Amino acid sequence: MTNGYGGIIARGIKRSFGSVDAVRSIDFEAPPGEVTALIGPNGSGKTTLLLILASLLAPDAGTLTVGGSDPATDSAAVRRKVGWMPDTLGVWESLKAREILTTVGALYGLTTAAASTRAAELLDAVRLTEYADAPARVLSRGQQQRLSLARALIHDPEVLLLDEPASGLDPGSRVELRIMLRRLAGEGKTIVVSSHVLSELDEIADRAVFVSRGESVKTQTLDEAGSQLRRYCIQAEPMSALADVLSSHGVVFEERGDSRRVEYQVLLSSTEQAAWLLRTLVLANVVVTAFAPAGGALEETYMSLDTERQ
Amino acid sequence: MSTQLIESSRPLSLGYATGVRSIFGLEMKQRLRGRAWYIMMAVWFLVIGLVFLLATLTTSATGGAGPFLFDLVVGFVLFFGLLVAPGLSANAINGDRAGGTLAILQITLLTPGQILWGKWLASWVASLGFLALSSPFIFWALALGGVNPLEAVVSLVVLALELGLVCALGVGTSALATRPLFSIVTTYMMVALLGLGTLIAFGLSMTLVMEEDVPVVQSYYNYPPEVQLSQEIPSEEDLVCVTDEITTTVWHTERTAWLLAANPFVIVADAVPYDRAADDLPVGSFNETYRAPGVMESISDQVRLAQAGPDYNVTCAEAQFFGPRSRDIESEPFPIWPLGLALQGGLAAVVLWAGRRKLVTPARRLSQGTRIA
Repeated sequence: MTNGYGGIIARGIKRSFGSVDAVRSIDFEAPPGEVTALIGPNGSGKTTLLLILASLLAPDAGTLTVGGSDPATDSAAVRRKVGWMPDTLGVWESLKAREILTTVGALYGLTTAAASTRAAELLDAVRLTEYADAPARVLSRGQQQRLSLARALIHDPEVLLLDEPASGLDPGSRVELRIMLRRLAGEGKTIVVSSHVLSELDEIADRAVFVSRGESVKTQTLDEAGSQLRRYCIQAEPMSALADVLSSHGVVFEERGDSRRVEYQVLLSSTEQAAWLLRTLVLANVVVTAFAPAGGALEETYMSLDTERQ
Repeated sequence: MSTQLIESSRPLSLGYATGVRSIFGLEMKQRLRGRAWYIMMAVWFLVIGLVFLLATLTTSATGGAGPFLFDLVVGFVLFFGLLVAPGLSANAINGDRAGGTLAILQITLLTPGQILWGKWLASWVASLGFLALSSPFIFWALALGGVNPLEAVVSLVVLALELGLVCALGVGTSALATRPLFSIVTTYMMVALLGLGTLIAFGLSMTLVMEEDVPVVQSYYNYPPEVQLSQEIPSEEDLVCVTDEITTTVWHTERTAWLLAANPFVIVADAVPYDRAADDLPVGSFNETYRAPGVMESISDQVRLAQAGPDYNVTCAEAQFFGPRSRDIESEPFPIWPLGLALQGGLAAVVLWAGRRKLVTPARRLSQGTRIA
């Protein structure tokens, strides 16, 4: 079964392990040329879904096409197109970084010459060139993570499945990961990223699928997420002046205690409303020292879903 | 980073042999770079060397040390090989699964068969290293004389086959079991089943093949009654052949001898082309070329005795100490080692086939406690 659509379409995916329903009902779509975030709490079925998309696990029910092919009927076609970076870092510890890449390249049918050229490029792209001939066991966790990303890219896949790619990365590497993923998406690749670091996904992802307890609960583009009700944090010198102006304009606010400094939180429906409030405060001679969204757009959605936290 | 490197017009494909070779190379690299293999080899060399040295010292007093030493070394190499091969093979798959590297192989274009073949070849070659390490002792025994070089060659080949079969059992089990410890122990149990279990089964089956009150003819030389009663010292000329028809209990071991075929020691012992004709002595004489059979040859002789079954008619010639081996037997003994290899090969094939099912992706059922990645 093949169709021209290069991305991922999954409908009604179910998968249980014995009596545990890891995935109960997930609808998932990832169009080519976009980064799709897969967001959910621990144990919500993200990794299981990614294993199903990577053609390693068979779903109990549901229909699935990855890169235009069904993993159940043509897993080889799916594997040619899919690069997968697992959350558990499996590395052959005694192999050199370069050897790991060329070996995996060979397992995708690349010629020795093509595999070694490609390995050199990818080592450069993930800044591991100086460790190319070091055994993988001496690499730090973050370096192994980057090597794992390079491994997933060795056969230039159309679909990239990344399970928690940013965990263990230092801030500089996170920025590089972001740039790399945006560039790959720009080349028309389908990219799926699961992560807990929501603020980061704000900047990488075009769209997000929220899963909770094995079900997909919401699908949202970042534009939609940006235009929803959002909380803003405001600080001023002194806070009493801020409180007076907010009250006089009928803006409901609450004091937040979980921050080191006292701040007020207000709920605003759009960026226009935020701009209006800031202008009003400044014109009322309130010395505003901080005025910012309380969290990322995706975090806002995540917290509002609330299904998991009771 | 150019993405045009892999031309999209040509779909990626992986030849079967190429995949097997890649896995083999990957496994061998890891073994050669680890220290465990070398330490095991050093221990192996010391132990075999020690056994050889002790055997040399004990046999140096007597003549004909060559065949005895040769048999002893072959037996010990097989024994230690059966101990080492499970350790080299039975963590091949589940060890990778625990390390998170199995899924990375499964996500590529590799098929389950290629993974199993590659892992099996690598563990076999690793265990052949031990065999190569013991060949100096085998050739030393050969140099002492009395052993046909063909016996040595056949012994080495069959030893290699045995190691390969045990490795196949190990690799297959490691795909079936969740934990390396469990699969290694299970493989040892299977080896024990083949090595000791076949003997026990053969022994226990004796009552099943027992037949009571069977009339047999037994002949022996004895002095006639008048000679026995007389006061004169009997001379050898007075001996007459006495034939009795009696009923006795016989064991039809020819029906159960196949149980022994699956024993690794029987296979190796039985496959070696001993110079059996030289051992058959002319009636009532002493043969200059007679040599005592070694450990392995004795095993083969015993198995062929079991294959022969009961002897219903013992002639006077047979009853003599240096009598011929011809007997009136149920069935003619035949080389049993091909049957043994087939039985072990069948067992290995079943285990590998079952293990292969555990490697098929997308996976439908996972064992309890198994994680894909």
